[in-house]
Amino acid sequence: MKKTKISICILLFIVVALLLMSASNKFGYKQPDPIKLIVPKGWPVPKIDIFAKNKLTEQGFQLGKKLFYDGRLSKDGEISCASCHQNFASFSTFDHDLSHGVENSFTKRNAPALINLAWMKEFHWDGAINHIEVQPLAPITAANEMGETIPNVLHKLRKDSVYLSMFKAAFGDTMINSQRMLKALAQFTGSLVSYNSKYDKVMRGESSYTDYEKRGYQVYKQHCSSCHQEPLFTDNSFRNNGLSLNRFHDIGRQGITNVSSDSLKFKVPTLRNTQRSFPYMHDGRLYSLYDVVEFYRTGIDTSQPTLDKKLKNRISITIKEKNELVHFLYTLTDSSFLNNTRFLPTISAVKRN
Amino acid sequence: MINQQSKLLGILKQQKIIYSLLFLMSPLLSYSQAPTGQLKITFTNSVNNVPIILKDKVYQNPFGEDYTVNKLKYYVGNYSLSESIIKKSKHHYFLVDASAQNNCLTIEVPVGEYNNLGFTLGVDSIDNCSGAQTGALDPINDMFWTWNSGYVFFKLEGFSPSSSADLQRIQYHIGGYKGDNNAATAIQLFPTDQSMIAIKKNTTTEIEVVLHLDDFWNNPHAIKINETPVCMLPGALAKKIASNFNGLFSIKHISYLEEDKN
Ligand code: HEC
Ligand code: HEC
Repeated sequence: MKKTKISICILLFIVVALLLMSASNKFGYKQPDPIKLIVPKGWPVPKIDIFAKNKLTEQGFQLGKKLFYDGRLSKDGEISCASCHQNFASFSTFDHDLSHGVENSFTKRNAPALINLAWMKEFHWDGAINHIEVQPLAPITAANEMGETIPNVLHKLRKDSVYLSMFKAAFGDTMINSQRMLKALAQFTGSLVSYNSKYDKVMRGESSYTDYEKRGYQVYKQHCSSCHQEPLFTDNSFRNNGLSLNRFHDIGRQGITNVSSDSLKFKVPTLRNTQRSFPYMHDGRLYSLYDVVEFYRTGIDTSQPTLDKKLKNRISITIKEKNELVHFLYTLTDSSFLNNTRFLPTISAVKRN
Repeated sequence: MINQQSKLLGILKQQKIIYSLLFLMSPLLSYSQAPTGQLKITFTNSVNNVPIILKDKVYQNPFGEDYTVNKLKYYVGNYSLSESIIKKSKHHYFLVDASAQNNCLTIEVPVGEYNNLGFTLGVDSIDNCSGAQTGALDPINDMFWTWNSGYVFFKLEGFSPSSSADLQRIQYHIGGYKGDNNAATAIQLFPTDQSMIAIKKNTTTEIEVVLHLDDFWNNPHAIKINETPVCMLPGALAKKIASNFNGLFSIKHISYLEEDKN
């Protein structure tokens, strides 16, 4: 009696196992290859796992990359994410204070570098965006960026057989919907991890600083590290560093929270690859790193009530220290990231259709 | 394949006690489920007890201000009967759209007698910040603020000569999920005649819920078009408008439809 029950149970189990095995091979579908987010040694583990509900796979990453470089995400077919986020500029807009959108429009903010986003909780200068997956909805639909609608974008993608097969490879079938498109984009942008600058090599004991750079590092530690915290060179907080109100009346964080104590607060940007992401600040008003450090020395508007306490007396450093500091900032440039071909479009993704 | 099977058998033999226990328990597990019936909720939208005609019909609010309704959409979810939340409806939302042919949803609920029907008008905080969604929450439904993440819970758009906004538009996009600005509103509806809502086996209980747009303007807070023709962000104004949501709805009708026994 007991024996028959056990054997029925075993039989059921085998049937289920076999069904599961054959299901995974159904229609010749190969499971996508899982990949792991790089968490460099010594870095904190991201507080929120952005890939918890978006399994990072090679096929998902490749699809996200193709979307990132595709002008069809915009109304006129000309503007891709990469038009404003260029790899050699650490995925900011090279040499532009503001970026070009469709039909000769301009953004009202400087395009930030897209690196180490997996450690970020809120996106955009004012933290308006609460999840990396919903971020692309903003540029795609903004009239002064890509000026498109999501249904239109999906319609264009569904007509392309390459996309149909790439969505299938990444997600199991050829269905193209907003969720899959957004998750794929997040797999690409969330994988942009930069961690191989000279600074990182020095920290890992693979290289060493010159005396000059060492002194710059000390200046940084004394005056900048409280906000631009190691190892990400940002604490991802919102602060007012004393820039005056700009011509767009951009009040930053206050626009999102409606709280007057948040007036003129912006997200602390990373200093990694900062040499390449010029011009600087939320509206790109400062052109060089010398201008930036000079601003902290002499330019901070100390009359602002929400100015960060640490900057109340500006930053008093000598011209010599200023030069040392800038040279230290150069050691945060990660050329292996900036030249990484893995983040560049594959040939088939460059040509349209 | 053969190899895999014999491996499986090997593992199974070691764990046969556990499996046989599970096997013996399986009938118990299925018995523990309470009997259920179907609850169908139908939403209709009305002004002065007449279904809304979009675009063409001019209505008047209680302040004598004329307006048209071009769009009326809102999220409902977290249904409950006599305050007990129907688990399956958590994180499942329905988008009522006045332009749709009909707005009804059906859920399986435990058999019993209940004195009220509850639901949330809006989207729970957690579902406002969980990334890209599908179904009712898909951003293609045009109910997601792309420039300030979060869902619009209730959207009313049209035109009014009393509006000082561009093109005399009226635009109420009500939402907000953070702290004090949370505009999601719990609605509780009792059948007007104090009768009970019965859920029976093999029966569909259909409840018709009506939204009375008249109450949007003044129940209890006055929302005058000439003062506030537009609300597009979470915040104090959105909260004030949302505090009128509670009085918007009523149960119009409950009917019972027995299933064909086939
Ligand atoms: C027209 C230029 C432009 C285009 C096109 C564009 N962006 Fe951006 N991007 C910006 C600007 C400007 C910001 C800063 C926005 C703000 O703070 O309000 C930004 C911010 C971001 C951020 C937030 C980074 C941070 O540190 O908070 C991400 C992520 C991003 N963009 C990804 C994308 C993706 C993905 C696309 C394509 C779907 C895209 N961008 C298209 C200009 C652009
Ligand atoms: C009180 C916090 C704080 C301190 C201290 C601070 N910063 Fe900043 N930093 C910020 C904020 C906030 C921004 C963004 C401001 C904006 O755009 O409105 C910023 C922006 C920058 C940028 C622009 C980066 C970009 O991509 O646009 C650079 C470079 C920079 N800081 C370098 C420094 C240096 C060097 C020091 C030390 C001398 C320093 N910061 C000290 C808060 C701080």
